[in-house]
Amino acid sequence: MASERSQPVITTTDLRKEYGSTVAVDDISLEIEDGEIFGLLGPNGAGKTTAIEIIQGLRTPTSGEATVLGLDIQTDLHKIKDRIGVVPQSFHTFERLTVRENVALIANLHTEPLAVDDVLDELALREWADDPFHSLSGGYQRRTGIAMALVGDPDVLFLDEPTTGLDPAARRATWEQIEQLPAMGTTVVLTTHYMEEVEYLADRVALLVDGHVKAIDTVPALINTYAGELKVVVHLDESTTGTEADALEATLRETADSVHKTDADKLIGVFGERQAAQDTYSELHDIGTGHSIDLVSPDMEDVFLTLADSTLSPGGELQ
Amino acid sequence: MRRVVRLTVTLLRDWVRNREAVFFAVLFPLILLIIFSFVFAGGPTEFDVGVQNNDLTADGEPTALSAELVGAIEEASPLAVDQLDATQNLTQVENIEDATNRKRVLIIPKGFSERVRDESARVRMAVIQDTTERFQGNISASQQQDIQAALGAANGTQRDGAEVVLLTVPDDEGAGAVESIVDSVVATFNDRALGIENPTVAIQTEQRGQEGLGATDYFLPAFIVAMVLINGVMTVPSAVAQLKRDGTLKRLAVTPLRKHEWVLANVLQQSILAVAITLVLIAVAWLAFGVTATPGPLALALLLLGTVAFTSLGMIVGSVIQDPGSAISLGGAIALPLMFISGIFWELDLMPPTLQTVAEFSPVTHFHRGLRELMILDSTSGVAFTFGFLAVLAVVFLTGAVMLTNWQEFD
Repeated sequence: MASERSQPVITTTDLRKEYGSTVAVDDISLEIEDGEIFGLLGPNGAGKTTAIEIIQGLRTPTSGEATVLGLDIQTDLHKIKDRIGVVPQSFHTFERLTVRENVALIANLHTEPLAVDDVLDELALREWADDPFHSLSGGYQRRTGIAMALVGDPDVLFLDEPTTGLDPAARRATWEQIEQLPAMGTTVVLTTHYMEEVEYLADRVALLVDGHVKAIDTVPALINTYAGELKVVVHLDESTTGTEADALEATLRETADSVHKTDADKLIGVFGERQAAQDTYSELHDIGTGHSIDLVSPDMEDVFLTLADSTLSPGGELQ
Repeated sequence: MRRVVRLTVTLLRDWVRNREAVFFAVLFPLILLIIFSFVFAGGPTEFDVGVQNNDLTADGEPTALSAELVGAIEEASPLAVDQLDATQNLTQVENIEDATNRKRVLIIPKGFSERVRDESARVRMAVIQDTTERFQGNISASQQQDIQAALGAANGTQRDGAEVVLLTVPDDEGAGAVESIVDSVVATFNDRALGIENPTVAIQTEQRGQEGLGATDYFLPAFIVAMVLINGVMTVPSAVAQLKRDGTLKRLAVTPLRKHEWVLANVLQQSILAVAITLVLIAVAWLAFGVTATPGPLALALLLLGTVAFTSLGMIVGSVIQDPGSAISLGGAIALPLMFISGIFWELDLMPPTLQTVAEFSPVTHFHRGLRELMILDSTSGVAFTFGFLAVLAVVFLTGAVMLTNWQEFD
C-alpha cells in the first residue's frame, strides 16, 4: 500500500461522455496520486470502463478535461500511451503466439521496455513462456495480460475488472501480484465490481453509480463515514412467515440508523452505535424461528448500500 | 518503422501458425493450378470414330480403294479410328451407340471400289468428250465416230457415285467436326480418283507472332491474381474483424502503435506473403508443367502494387464491418464478381460484348493482363497503364484504410 502522496498522476475535470441521450460518464472529477492503487467501484454499466477508456485515449470525451502524468489526453496521447499499461476487460491477444512472443510484441512497441524475461519471471510465467496463449487457463491468460501491460515499464497501470471470471485461487494470486506493483513505482487504477477486491487492494476508492461519483476516500474512511459501527444482518428463509418478517423489519427500523432489504431475502440494519446493535441483535432473536441473524462489522457493501441504496450481485448487477 | 516491422513479423508468425489461412492462401491455389492445368492442357482434342469397311474381296480382304480411303481417314490426326467388324449390318440399326458402343461410325458400303472406278471413268469420259467438242475441227470424221462410240459405251454403264455413310447419335457435339474432317478426306480421295494429285487451290498455313498460351501459362498469373484478391479482400477483413471483436486490436490501440502503422503492417505482411506464394506457384508450374515464367523486377513491382491496393481495400472492409463472418461475405461479394468479370479464368473474348466493356474498367482485368504480359509473354504492352491504374487505387485505398480504421470507440 502506498503511504506517501505526491503529485497526481491522473486528473479529470468534469469529464463527461454522452451517447445520445444516455450519460455514461457524468462530470467526473478525480485526482489519482502517484504510487497508489486507486479503485473505481461500481455496478455493471456505471461508467467505470468508459471513464478509464477516455483517460487511455480509447474514447473521446463529450466534454471535460483529463491529464495523465501531466500530459493532456487530447494533445499528448501518443506520449501518454508510451507511459501507461492497460489490461482491458475481456483481455485477449494473438492466440497462436506464445506468451513470450505476445509480451515481446508489446515490448517492441514501447520506447523503453523492460526485459521480457524479467517480466515473465516477475509474474511467474517462465514455465509457460513457450506455450501458445490459447492453451493457457483463464488465470494465466490474465497474468499474461498483466505481463504485456507491465513490459512497457508503465508509470500508470490500468486494470479493468482484472479478476472477473477467475476462480478464487487465481483471483487471490492476481491480487498478490497487483499489490506489489506500487513498490515497483507503478500507480494502479483498478475498476471492479467486487467489494472485497477494493477492500483488499485499493488505497482509495471512488464509488461510481450511473456515471456519477458518489464518494471518494480510503476504504476505512468510507466505511466509517457511510457504514456505521456495526450491522445486523437478518437472513430470511422459506419458513419465515409474513408476520414474522414484518416484525423483524419493524424492530430493525425502530433502532437502526438505516435498514435495507435485498432481493436475496436479507434485512440489513446499520448502526452507528455498537451497543444499540447488540441490543437489537438480542431482541430479534426473540421474534419467531424462521430466520438467522448475524452481527457483523460493516464493509464496503454497506457503504454501497448507503450510497446507492442497493447492493451488488456477484455478477456486478444492482439488486 | 521499427514498430511496423515488429508487428509485421508478429502477423506473419500468427499467419504461419494458422492452418486454415495457410491452406487457403498456398495449398488451395496450388491445387487449383494443378487441376486447371491438367484439365485444360490435355493436348490436341481427338474424336473417336469407328469405321466399318464392307467393301471386301472374295477372300475377305478390303478392296484396294476402300483400304486407301480407310488409310486416309486414319491419317487425319484429329480422328482416332477404330475399325469395326464387317459382319454386323449397321445401316438399319436404331441406335448406333447401343449397337457399336461408339458415337460415330463411318460405313463404307459393299461395291464401293467398283462405283468409284465407274464414276471416275464416267467423269474422265465427260472430260474427254468436252475436250473433243472443243477441238472438233482438228479431228477427222472417222476419229470422231470412234470417240463417240467409246463415249456411248461408257455412258451406258453410268451409275450413281460411291457413297460412304457417317452415322452419329443426336447429342454428339463432335459430329460436326468429324463430318468436316471426313468430308475433307473424301474430297482429297475424290481428286486422286480423278487423277488430280495437286489440287488447283491449296491452303498454305504459316505461324506468325508468338506461340499461343498453354493452359498453365494462362492460369499461373490468374491464380496469382486470385490469391492476392482472396487474401487481400476476403481473408484480411475477416482477420481484422476477428482481432477487433476479441479485443486484440483494442489492446494494440492502447500501446504507442499508431493506426497507420497497423494498416501498413498488414499491407506489408500481405506483400511478403504474395511474393512468397507467387514464387511457390511459379516453382510448381515450372516443375510440373515446364512453364518458364520469369518474375522480373517489373512483374514483382506490379504484384506488390496490386497487393497494396487490394489489401488496403480489405482493410477498409475490415474496418467498417464488426463481424468476421460478415466481413468475409462482403469481401467475397467484392472479390468474386471482380474475378469472374475480369477474364482471369477464361478469355475475355468468350464473354458478351457488354461484359467485355465492363471488364475493361476492372482493375483485376488489368492486373491479370499486366502480370501475364510481364511474366509469361515477356512483354510490356499496356503495362504502363496498369501501373498507373493500380497506383491510383493503392493510394486511394491505403488512405481510406488509414482514415476508416477505428483506433478509438471500440465496441
